[in-house]
Amino acid sequence: MKPHAEMDEVWPRDGRIRLVGRFHGLTGPAAGGWELLLVRRDDTGRSLSHPVRVRGGRFEGELPVTDLAAAGTAGTAAVAEWDVHLTDGTVRLRAGRRLDDIRGKKKIMVFPEQSVPEAGGFRVRPYYTVKDNLSLECRAGGPS
Amino acid sequence: MTPPPRTAGAPARPKVRYLLLHAYGRGGTIRTVMNQANSLASAGWDVELVSAVRRRDDLQFPLDERVAVSTVVDLREGAYTPPPGLRGRWEERRRARLLEQPARLVPAGEFGYRCFSRWLERQLVAYLSGLRDGILVTTRPALNLLAAEHATNGVVRVAQEHMNHGTHRPDVQRRIRACYPRFDTVAVLTERDREEYARLLPGTRVVRIPNAVHSLDQVPTDHSAKIAVAAGRLAPQKGFDLLIPAWAKLVGAHPDWQLWIYGSGERKAELRRLIEEHHLYNHVFLMGHTDRLDDELAKASFYVPSSRFEGLPMVMIEAMSHALPVVGFDCPTGPADVLTHGVDGLLVPPEDPDALADATGRLMGDEALRAEMGVAAVLTASSYGPDAVHPRWEALFTELHHRRHGGAAGAAKGQHA
Repeated sequence: MKPHAEMDEVWPRDGRIRLVGRFHGLTGPAAGGWELLLVRRDDTGRSLSHPVRVRGGRFEGELPVTDLAAAGTAGTAAVAEWDVHLTDGTVRLRAGRRLDDIRGKKKIMVFPEQSVPEAGGFRVRPYYTVKDNLSLECRAGGPS
Repeated sequence: MTPPPRTAGAPARPKVRYLLLHAYGRGGTIRTVMNQANSLASAGWDVELVSAVRRRDDLQFPLDERVAVSTVVDLREGAYTPPPGLRGRWEERRRARLLEQPARLVPAGEFGYRCFSRWLERQLVAYLSGLRDGILVTTRPALNLLAAEHATNGVVRVAQEHMNHGTHRPDVQRRIRACYPRFDTVAVLTERDREEYARLLPGTRVVRIPNAVHSLDQVPTDHSAKIAVAAGRLAPQKGFDLLIPAWAKLVGAHPDWQLWIYGSGERKAELRRLIEEHHLYNHVFLMGHTDRLDDELAKASFYVPSSRFEGLPMVMIEAMSHALPVVGFDCPTGPADVLTHGVDGLLVPPEDPDALADATGRLMGDEALRAEMGVAAVLTASSYGPDAVHPRWEALFTELHHRRHGGAAGAAKGQHA
């Protein structure tokens, strides 16, 4: 199995998305300098990053949903998807939940949506993909 | 040695027909009846499942291929073809009209009332009054009441009750008292219910035969995973709306534990909202329906029955056969009719989430207690194995058949009026 960032908890709450997990499959110990890296799926040149705290193989980080609103859904579609990674500048690990025994997480681990009223009702929802990776789905304001 | 001669006209083993509301559905009663049918078929009995209605193409549980399946009213799209000609057109209109009319014979308080129409009632009455031989087992109050009044042409009748008596609404209870004495036997699931029915139906034979789990040959849990499991239809009866708030009280002290709730149903969106409201989306998961419940039960460390009422909680007994201890509500004819508080599980007053949280916390914090109660749970579950239960149905059917058709057993014991 390739190294990845195993998610334990996802907290979409109070205008932030907090992510808690652990490194899995790294050869050396995870030192400092790791960041949360969000990469837009339909335009991988666009990304957002935030620092994470790392301790004993575990990481914890958060980002305000207003950052995603600022990055917008601009350009192509009304829906933008951002894939969540962790990176130390050299290695890039996809975040996901692959070590538990639950099949079909997309429908089982469902997270609440958060909206940004000042960005015209822009909404963000974390979700697990069919491959059990973590992504964020952003929708522009207006009726869903 | 040659077998003794049979009574003329009566085969040694009668045909057994089980009448279900929807054999193609997914409920506990359906599953249990199929287990019974499978056991009888493999013991050489001639068994038929009769589905009052049919809404699906396929059965949802495994059924022995020797068991015949038939349907009284097929409600699938395109299943009905009227006879040709004028008469056909008239009949088609009549059918459509009667399908829209509410039931008249089934009491409105029957939980399945909405599934019955005038058309279904009439077809069932025609079916029941045409039965002349064998044994008819009906499986819910509406069908029991129809059989009591209309299956009167020679068939031996057994009424199964899969819910405890107190659960039925007053109109259903009244009809039960009036009609069930016509049955050859009324079969209930628990001792508490047997006493209740015997009191309500003096002179009527009431037996307790519990439902059997499909197998006792199960993988035991090792009680180490921080996972609790619950299962059932996502409906008010199952009390998941009480379990979720109870879990919210536990997350602070036991943040590593997860609750997996198996099942599908009409209340899914509401339960999801409740999970979000309590910020439990990392701890409580609506797992949906699974075809591999055995495998899933073995992954957990204890089972949580949260129902408001039950007949006999079968999935709980299945969980116990995997060495899962139980912590849950002491609801009517529920966990307490199976297990002993403090031995193979912990029971708290029904519909009391605070008490449930306290007892659950105790099990979460004590792996040795889980293991000890788990061993006791396996022992308890063993009396619900197919080998312990199904011979009792065979014995009952054999005896009823002999009584009806004369012979030593029947003559000696007489017959209920």
